[in-house]
Amino acid sequence: MTLNILLAILAGVLVGLSRQLNGKLSLSTSPLVASFWNHIVGFAALTIIGLSFGGLIPDGIANIPWFDYIGGPIGVIFVAAGSWLLVRIGAANTALLIVGGQMVSGVVMDWFMAESFTVAPSAIGVTLILAGMALMQMRTRN
Amino acid sequence: MDKPISPLHLLAAFATGGLLTLMVHFNGELGRYGNALFSSWTAHGTGTIAAVVFILALGGKWRYENAPERTTPWWAYLGGLSGAMTVMVTSYAVNSPLALSGTLALGLGGQVLFSLAADHWGFFGLPKRQPELRDLAALALVMAGSAVIILYGLG
Repeated sequence: MTLNILLAILAGVLVGLSRQLNGKLSLSTSPLVASFWNHIVGFAALTIIGLSFGGLIPDGIANIPWFDYIGGPIGVIFVAAGSWLLVRIGAANTALLIVGGQMVSGVVMDWFMAESFTVAPSAIGVTLILAGMALMQMRTRN
Repeated sequence: MDKPISPLHLLAAFATGGLLTLMVHFNGELGRYGNALFSSWTAHGTGTIAAVVFILALGGKWRYENAPERTTPWWAYLGGLSGAMTVMVTSYAVNSPLALSGTLALGLGGQVLFSLAADHWGFFGLPKRQPELRDLAALALVMAGSAVIILYGLG
C-alpha cells in the first residue's frame, strides 16, 4: 500500500516536472513548439514501451467513434497553455488554478452526464475553490 | 508575489483546467475501448500531428528571434518523457486499492508540493517565487475544495 501511495504522489510530481520542463523549453522556442516536442517525445517513449510490453493495439478499438480522438489535439492546447502560464504566474499558481478549473468543470460535466451526482459535497467544493480564486485576486499591499 | 494575479491569467488558467476535463473525458473513452497505454499513445500521436498543423497554420515558425532565451538545454526536451511516465504510474495506482479518488487526491498533493518547491528554488532555471500569506490561504482553499469534490463528490 505504501508503494501505491508513493506512486500516486509521484504521478502528481511528474505532472509538475513535465510542466516545468516544457515551460523552460517554451522560453527559447514558443509554448506551441514546446507542446509539439512534449507530444512527439511522449509518443516515441510510449511506442517503445508498447513494443516492449505489448498492448499497444488492443482489440475493440475499431468501434471507437472518430470524435473520441479529439483528446490529443485538446492536449496540445492544454500543454501549450501550461507553459505560457508557468513562466508568467509561476508553478504553484498555474497548478492551483488549473486544478480549480478542472474540478469546477468536472462538477459541471458530472451534473449533466453522470448517472449519480452528489450535490452537497460538489457545491461545497466549488464554493471553496471559487473563494480561493477570489483571494488570489485581492490586494495585500499597494 | 506582491502583486495579485491578473484577471486574464486567472481566467486563462481556469479555462485551461476546463480543457483538461475535456481531454481526460475523451482520452478516458479511448482507454475504455482499448487500454490506458493505447489511450495515451494515440493521444500523443494525434497531438503531434495537431501540433504540426497548428504551427504551420501560424506561419511555420519553430524558432523565434525575439524569444526570451537563445539556447535550449538538452533536458528541456524531456517533458514528454515525464508525461508518458505519468500515464503508466497513474494507471497502476488507479487499479490499486487507492482507486480513482485516492489516486487523484494524492496526485494533487504531489503536484502542489512539487510546484511550491519549484517556485521556491527556481527549478530548471525558471524564476524563483516566494508565496505570501494570501497565496498560501488561497492554496489551502483550492486544495480543500478539490479534496471535498474528489473524496465525497465523485459518483
